[in-house]
Amino acid sequence: MHSRALSVSPAPAVAVRATDIVKRYGGVTALNGVSLTVTEGEVFGIIGPNGAGKSTLFDILCGITKPTSGAIEVLGRDVGHMAPHAVARTGVARTFQRTAVFADATVFENLRYGRHASFRHGVLGRIVGSSSCRADEQAFQERAREVLALTGLDGDRDRRAGVLAYGVQRRLAVGVALMADPKILFLDEPAAGMNGRETADFIALIRAVAPGRTILIVEHDMAVIRELCGRALVVVDGRPVVIDEPQHVLRHPEVITAYLGADDE
Amino acid sequence: MQPSSTSAAVLAAEPARDGVPAPAMRPGPTSLSIWLLLGAAIAAIAAFGFAVSDPFIVTLAGYTCAFALFALSINIMLGGIGEVPLGQCVFFGIGAYGVGIGMVKLGLPFELSVAAALVISVAAAAALGALTLRLTGAYFSIVSWGLSGVAMVAATNLESLTGGPLGLFGFSALSVGPVLLTDPQSYFFVTASLLVAAVLFLVAVRRSPFGAAMESVRQNRHLAQSVGVDVTRVRLKAFMLSAPLAALGGALCVPYTQIVTPEVFSVANTVDGLLMVLLGGSQLIVGPVIGAVIFSIIPHFLELDPNVRILIFSSAIIAIMMFAPGGLHQLAVALRQRLRRDGHA
Ligand SMILES: Nc1ncnc2c1ncn2[C@@H]1O[C@H](COP(=O)(O)OP(=O)(O)O)[C@@H](O)[C@H]1O
Ligand SMILES: [Mg+2]
Repeated sequence: MHSRALSVSPAPAVAVRATDIVKRYGGVTALNGVSLTVTEGEVFGIIGPNGAGKSTLFDILCGITKPTSGAIEVLGRDVGHMAPHAVARTGVARTFQRTAVFADATVFENLRYGRHASFRHGVLGRIVGSSSCRADEQAFQERAREVLALTGLDGDRDRRAGVLAYGVQRRLAVGVALMADPKILFLDEPAAGMNGRETADFIALIRAVAPGRTILIVEHDMAVIRELCGRALVVVDGRPVVIDEPQHVLRHPEVITAYLGADDE
Repeated sequence: MQPSSTSAAVLAAEPARDGVPAPAMRPGPTSLSIWLLLGAAIAAIAAFGFAVSDPFIVTLAGYTCAFALFALSINIMLGGIGEVPLGQCVFFGIGAYGVGIGMVKLGLPFELSVAAALVISVAAAAALGALTLRLTGAYFSIVSWGLSGVAMVAATNLESLTGGPLGLFGFSALSVGPVLLTDPQSYFFVTASLLVAAVLFLVAVRRSPFGAAMESVRQNRHLAQSVGVDVTRVRLKAFMLSAPLAALGGALCVPYTQIVTPEVFSVANTVDGLLMVLLGGSQLIVGPVIGAVIFSIIPHFLELDPNVRILIFSSAIIAIMMFAPGGLHQLAVALRQRLRRDGHA
């Protein structure tokens, strides 16, 4: 049932490896010694209360934020010294918890922007209609059609992203990320604000795109984690608590206290 | 499924517009409508140039085209990457002084002086951009404004090069090849042609991957970065693209002003250009041109006192920002939609 790769090869390749990540903002320690190893093809969950450091961990794994200390390796590359756009170009895509889409652009234009890294032609090529311009455009159109169908956004392609319902924007965010056909997909609270039906559709969408990819999901909706993830990491106050299969993780005493504690606030 | 995806493929070359007026840059109208608009623009330019006999009005029209180039430059920054480039007058001034110093001090022909000014403006943009584009929003605006102040002080004090506060004047042959720019009709045709060429080029830019990258940076730089856009590089490239347009505008203003003084570096020039952009609409490629026409022609016909002019334009800007942040163009679109809806009802 799980998309987790029960790999045939004896030692599955590592997609993401983080070693002893510490991140401080002035006096605030957002992350305090987090380590994880995610193998290729895995769907890996990250849970924890608000402010636990989940988004910060994502930012660090994608090269957007540099850690105070610790090492990060993504697809065999040391991300610690790479610019974020360069990390993206190695086949890493992510969605954001807030402002997940290009709000002023139509759905279709959002997909075009998502395709950026694959365009080879320049302004001159556009003017003369060079062969690389035509090839780029054709490949884009093809990919956009696939992604529109996958995300169920066919009917919304010419609507402005900013006016779409929240759940639809979330699906579009995944669509933008998929345009580059990434090897690793980071999803930051992708199902937040979705109703039950939207969440079920969303789970189906992620299942459909998971084969051949590694996916990391931060999510509060435990149904999503249970349905999709082979393993999950629990972070509380920047500290890793446990990494295990979702059903074990959710029964961990510290997880129960952490969530009850967070609810008390 | 099949028919709809086929029609999607046909439509896909140019996304259809739905009823939602989106204040966003669009990949642009179809190629056919671009050629029609181009034909109309050329016809209008020819008609105006040949039919209007008042040399003052024709010269003013030429000057308007020159200043519209500057407004286009400002809009590469504002409409393109969402920055308010208060210091853009630096490049405008480089263009004007390029002609002034090149012709008066070095005895170069006009064309060569302009070419040198364009090259220098790109180099200056590369250097200034590397320093200032780390900043965004108000910080970028204020620092670039400060740089224009530095440029003005330099122009005032480097007397041997710039002629100091009195400036440079006494131009001999202001001409492009055999075309004399002191002749109103020729001046107008030259500036108008260059303006049309600049607009066409910007249409191509917007529809290129670089145009899409600029737009993605303007709307959401974090997301743009995460889809592989080198945000710093795109912003610098936009700046380096905007600079020679401003310089060309500044250079082409010289045949009208006949003098180059440190005032070309005044932020008031940028503010005028910004008002043009806001009047015409920052998300429409020809918006700044429309704004420039309104901005320079109307006060002439109304014969406004400069102070009254500022009052009226400032009020107009506030009204536009409140009711039509996409510029007058957006009002026209909204009006047309209202009329169409009423027509169907
Ligand atoms: N740029 C920042 N500057 C200062 N503190 C930050 C910054 N980003 C995150 N933090 C702090 O780090 C902690 C973790 O935040 P975050 O990663 O967003 O948590 P989560 O995604 O788990 O809700 C919080 O205490 C937050 O206030
Ligand atoms: Mg978060």
